Amino acid sequence: MSMISFRAVFTGRAVRAVLGGLGGLVLWMSLIAAPAVAQTSGAPAATIGMTNTLSFTKDTVRVEVGETVRWKNNSVIVHTVTADPEEATMDESMRLPEGAASFHSGNLEPDETFEYTFETPGRYRYFCVPHEAAMRATVIVEPAEGQ
Amino acid sequence: MTCPQLVSVSLSSTQRSVRLRAGAFFQRGLLVLAGALLLLLGAVDTAQAQDKKMKKMLMQLQEMNQADGYLEAHRNIKEPLELLGGPISFTVEQNAGGVFVGLPDQRELDSDVFGTPEMPRAFTGTPGVTGVPVPFREVENGQFTQLDRPTPFGDKSMALPNGTMMLKAKDVTATDAATTKDEVKFKASWEDKEGNTYAVRCCEMLATAGPEFPTFGGVVTNHILHGFSGIGTPLMPTEYTYAAFWGMGEVLKNGEVVDKPRVVHGMLTEYVRTEGYELASDSEVTPTRRHFHLMVAPFMPVQGEHKFEHDNVSTGFQLPNGKELPFWHVMFENLNIDSQRGE
Ligand SMILES: [Cu+2]
Repeated sequence: MSMISFRAVFTGRAVRAVLGGLGGLVLWMSLIAAPAVAQTSGAPAATIGMTNTLSFTKDTVRVEVGETVRWKNNSVIVHTVTADPEEATMDESMRLPEGAASFHSGNLEPDETFEYTFETPGRYRYFCVPHEAAMRATVIVEPAEGQ
Repeated sequence: MTCPQLVSVSLSSTQRSVRLRAGAFFQRGLLVLAGALLLLLGAVDTAQAQDKKMKKMLMQLQEMNQADGYLEAHRNIKEPLELLGGPISFTVEQNAGGVFVGLPDQRELDSDVFGTPEMPRAFTGTPGVTGVPVPFREVENGQFTQLDRPTPFGDKSMALPNGTMMLKAKDVTATDAATTKDEVKFKASWEDKEGNTYAVRCCEMLATAGPEFPTFGGVVTNHILHGFSGIGTPLMPTEYTYAAFWGMGEVLKNGEVVDKPRVVHGMLTEYVRTEGYELASDSEVTPTRRHFHLMVAPFMPVQGEHKFEHDNVSTGFQLPNGKELPFWHVMFENLNIDSQRGE
């Protein structure tokens, strides 16, 4: 039970995986705990802001496989969150771990958010498309605990 | 009992000596004052002389502007030739997002553009427009470091919301001339946090020939500008320019024209900002990204002469120090760009 609620804190995806694996009993138990789960299941493991001065508010964040990172555009400028070779024009602006899928938020207007759940461990270097020259940061994804 | 006496004696003696000393000081003071006045008069005289010398130097620098001969050969051409390969039409637009507004700052001086104190470069022409006089440059360890005064070209900026712009233009005429077939329709606007709207429109008239550097009929495409190029201020880095225009336009606040006519310059260039939105030196330019710059500079062409004079722009935008921002230097970076060759 403590293991289940611990996992439920992370992502909807993690909750679904646990529910699928353990069947009806757990489903019933998690329904009892529904208010708590509803508040916390969507909570990202990390939230990163985007600024008016070409930066992400955290240079590096560490999460575990299956966890979600949320980016919020706190600025008045349109930014993106991108680790997609199709969008990059410079070698140093992005890097994906081997076998990892690329991602690209598209244009994020002021106050818009973007979430991405990391499924492959490793070091992700990402950037903002219009500000590729300066606006870059890193997410390090570690194997999930117990794996 | 003796103590108060002693005290009073010593007091009176102190008073006397103070008075004596005051007298001597007063006499000496007069001498010092007279000397200081003489020195001050001398300083005023020297300052005036220096001022005169500086003005003379600035005039000489304007007179030795390097593009004068070139411009003279082009200025009166009635039927200028067209671009090799034919006209280029293009649109550059930003539909949403913010803008970066450049604030007054002291530009770092890149030795690739400005040379060294021993071998200076880029000093002729109207200061700030085409050159930077050597006495305006700060020096440390035998190198130029930064400009000694703020200009629109530096590292300081602020982001303002709700920026849109639309440039629809045609580059037909190749060179500076008396006439042009180039065309520009430009409008841009942005807001401050209080919801005031600022806008710039152009061009009622295009710069068919530049007063001090070439303007290529008002619109130029696929050319290097600024930095070492001699075209436009060297205080911006050397930058490949996909398209640029120069013309006379107007400055608005909340829909009302607040300054007109003003020289308006816009350009779509490779990316010249770095971390923290600092202005790049030549070696820091990012060739694979682009942004658009709008400049309403604090300069106006002098009527009948081929030079500029300083003239602050009425922007209606208040800086944090309470002063009015005397220019607009605005960058747009979420662009849709479209272009084609041919009519
Ligand atoms: Cu950005």
